Parts: sequence; C-alpha cells; structure tokens
Amino acid sequence: MGMKCDVASCENEATVHLTEIREGKKHEMHLCERCAAEKGLPGKAHFSISDLLAGIASQAQSQAKPARRGKEAACPVCTTTLTQFQSSGRFGCPECYNTFRDDVQGLVEKIHDAAQHVGKVPRRVSSEISLQKDMRQLQLDLKRAIRKEDYEKAAAIRDQIKQIEDRLQIQEQAAEAQPPIKDVPAAPPKPAPPQNPGAKKKSDGGEKK
Amino acid sequence: MINTAINEMIKSSGEWMRGTGPEAEIVISSRVRLARNIRGFRFITKMDATERGTCEALIQEKILEAKIAPVGAYIPLHKTEGIDRKFLVERHLISKEHEDAQHQRGVAIAENEAVAIMVNEEDHIRLQVLQSGFQLPEAWKLANRIDDELEQRLDYSFAPQLGYLTACPTNVGTGMRVSVMLHLPALVLTRHIEKVFQAVGKINLAVRGLYGEGTEASGHFYQISNQVTLGRNEEEIVKNVQDVIPTIVGYEHRARQSLLAKDRKRLEDRVWRAYGMLKYAQLLPSDEAMMLLSAVRMGVHLGLLKDVSLRTVNEMFIYTQPAHLQKLTGRNLEPLERDVRRAEFVRTKLNHTK
Repeated sequence: MGMKCDVASCENEATVHLTEIREGKKHEMHLCERCAAEKGLPGKAHFSISDLLAGIASQAQSQAKPARRGKEAACPVCTTTLTQFQSSGRFGCPECYNTFRDDVQGLVEKIHDAAQHVGKVPRRVSSEISLQKDMRQLQLDLKRAIRKEDYEKAAAIRDQIKQIEDRLQIQEQAAEAQPPIKDVPAAPPKPAPPQNPGAKKKSDGGEKK
Repeated sequence: MINTAINEMIKSSGEWMRGTGPEAEIVISSRVRLARNIRGFRFITKMDATERGTCEALIQEKILEAKIAPVGAYIPLHKTEGIDRKFLVERHLISKEHEDAQHQRGVAIAENEAVAIMVNEEDHIRLQVLQSGFQLPEAWKLANRIDDELEQRLDYSFAPQLGYLTACPTNVGTGMRVSVMLHLPALVLTRHIEKVFQAVGKINLAVRGLYGEGTEASGHFYQISNQVTLGRNEEEIVKNVQDVIPTIVGYEHRARQSLLAKDRKRLEDRVWRAYGMLKYAQLLPSDEAMMLLSAVRMGVHLGLLKDVSLRTVNEMFIYTQPAHLQKLTGRNLEPLERDVRRAEFVRTKLNHTK
C-alpha cells in the first residue's frame, strides 16, 4: 500500500505486484498499471486469481520439507493430490480442505488475510452447535449432581441429555439421507449409535465436529 | 433441443437492463453471487457422470419444491444449443465457463431474470441476484432469502472455521462475490480511470471489464467486486463495495461536467457523430457499435441527445451482441451478415424511438 512503481522515472503508485521464483530465489516487482503493460506483463485487471493461487501453493510447498518422491499424499475421498491442486487451483471435494489442512491454512490466510469465517451459518449447523453447547453444560451439571449425590436431579438431567441426543441424531440422519459418494467409502467411519446411550459414552460423540 | 424459455426471453429485456434504479445513468447493475456445495458429493471436476446427474437432479428438485423458479424455467444446458447458451452469457445469466463446459449442468432463471441459479458450475450451486441500478443491499437480501429456502432442503458443505466450502479456496467463507457494473466513459476520456483502479486496488477490490476481458473496447463498462470472502460477514462485504461506488460515480459525474465546461464542442461532436454513425451506418462491427453506443449513452445522460432514452440505449447494447442478433434473426449469421444485421437493428431502433 502506498508503494511507488519500481520504474525509476515513474511516479505512479504500484498496483501490480509480481513474485517470481528464479533459481530458487524470490524476486519481487512492484509496478504501476502502465509500466506493467509496457513490460508486457499482465495488469492487475487481467491477473487471474488462480495463477496467483498456484504460485502461492507451490511457494508454500517449496518452503516445506522436501517431499518424499513418488509418494504424494492424496485425498482419501477424491484422490486429488497437492500437485493437481496447484495446477488447477481447484479442490476435488470438501474433504480436501481437511487432507491438505496445513497447506490450505497458509494459502487461505494469504488470499483473505483471515482464518476464521464470521458470516452466515446454515441453520442446521448453528442449531447443532448450540445443541452441543447445551449438551456440554448438561454433562457438567450431571457430574455435579452425582458428586452431590442428588440422584433425583441427575435422573432429570439424564432425560434432558437423552432428548438432545435424539434431536442431534435426527439431524444427522437427515444429513445422511443425501445420496452417498459413489464407489468411495463415505465419510470417515462413525461409531455405531450406542444401544443404551449413557451420558459418559456420548461425550466424545459430541465433540466429533 | 429448442428451448422455449429462451425463445420467450428474447422478446423482452430482463430486469437488470431496465435502465432504472438508483444512479442508473452510471451504475448499470448490482450483483450478488453465492457459491454453495452439497454435502456428500465431490466437487464438479472429480465427479463422474452418474454423480453429476444425481447432484443436478437433487438441486433441480429442491429449487422447484421451494418454488424459487417455476417448471420450465430450468434450462438443461448440456441439451441446449450453442447459440442459446451464448445468449445466456450475453444476458449475464450464466458464466462463460458454464457455457463452454460439456458435462451435465443447468441454470434456473426466475424473477424476470433477476435470479439465476447455475447448477454444476465450478460449485454445485452458484446463486446470482442481478438488479438494475445501484441496489446492492436489496440484491443481498433477495439472495439471502433464496439461500435460506434452499438451505432448508439441502445439506450444504460447511465447516465452522472455513465457512462454506468451495472448489476454489478464493471463495471459501461466505462464498459471496458482490459486484457493481459501472459505465465510466468520461473517466476514460479524461484519462483518470487509472486513479479509480488505484483507489479500488488499495481497499482490496477488483476491477474487470464487461465480460472480464479487454478494457477500452468493451464500451467503457467496468465491474468492481470484492476479492476477500473470508473473515468478514456478508453485510460487511456488501458495505465495502457499497461504500466505494458513490466516490467513483462522483468522479465520473465530475469528469462529465468538466468535459462539458472545458471541451463542450468536442464532446458534442463526439456524441453527435456517434449518433449519426449509428443512425446511418450499413455495417456495424461489434466493437465499433459498443464504442458508439457508449458515447450516445453519455450524451443522453448529459441532455445533449434528447431523441433517445437510456433504456433504448441499454437495450441496444444487449441486442447487438452476436447471439442476440442471431436469435432475433432466427438463424446463424456469418460475421459480415451480423454487421449488416446489427446496423439494421440499430437504425430501426433509432428511427422509431422518440
């Protein structure tokens, strides 16, 4: 911001920023739109985001430890590799965000200068989050009640927990009613729903997210 | 396949071309686009034909169920002729990529073309609201309402930290792209357009041409849009773009006034020459038509030309595009035939309007 164009005779502000890797060294260039055009470089208006993105991703990779050759990690759901992502700038499935978490984080931060979503949340997700919050509170209450040997209260809390579990399960089933991804083991294996869900058993289910 | 929906559309110009709405002399349209994907499906590039079909059918069904678009307003693009797909691009209802793709895909069009939902584009759902003039908050409100309707029926791919998960990480978070199309001929003439690029670049917004390509030749139309989709909520993103527009519109107004004050004869000459050419030319190549219409459009706004309305000029911009001309004529046209037909269309329009 507020940077002057690299061309000595030019007083304009640099709006085109280029990073080039030559022989393993980083070269940066900051030019104004006009000087960039004169050098035959793409101006900002024509600079595709996916080019930038592929550049950043490969930069991130070259800075990382040298990868083991021939054994590149691939996404278990869609088989996308990091190399494929670099050339296309596109992921193959939502799970890629998880598979390449370490690379994605830096990349996303560079693009957006932020790491946390603060916008709209689908109602299903927001109600799930708030139910899980309620659940955690109830589990604390339950422990406290048991410690105080107030079994009547504990039983009441257990009933409430059971209700929330049922609602969470209904939502999960609704979500799974979507057709599964073909010829790929669907989602990470989930523990079978317990026959007689006790408060303790479910606590790790609640934190799965 | 002959698409009756498209053949109906050619008869009128859509909502966003009305040439009305706040600041319509300079702000052509306001657009909000949301990218969404359905949980349980891979992204488009990794889907096989069956999965694409299932995904498309599911989304199509939910759009109908939510009564967002009526039956018949869903256009299956893989079964649609090339000329009709180009027509939709010219109307800004589908992207160039969606036109060119080969796979199973479609678009639902509603609310007199103010709403377009692309299915199986880069993301499973690309929901667009496009309105005439400067009305971004209204466009966002409508997009949000439709998104709520769809969300009740479809399970979106979402992560608490990264928000809506999209095929390209440049869209994660809100998945929202907000853009405003501006007509800035005076800033180009006075060579101040650079300043706009700089001011806009400083606050992380992008500037692009009419269809995202070459600048000068595209009739002096520019699109301003947000780049960042994560770490800000939808209202903040709208506000970011919203806030910069009056400044640019102000620059353009001042540039027009200064041309009038300092260079009136030259400006009048430019406008009237353009009008004369449009009124009498026998061959009109597309680029030339765009430039001439741009000058006429500015002349209408400044009151130099009283014979034409802004709406007529807007319509001429759209109807002189290649696919529109061919749809109007009812057959494919060679480039030369197109220039003849374009000149004919413009002549008729200008000699009939008052």
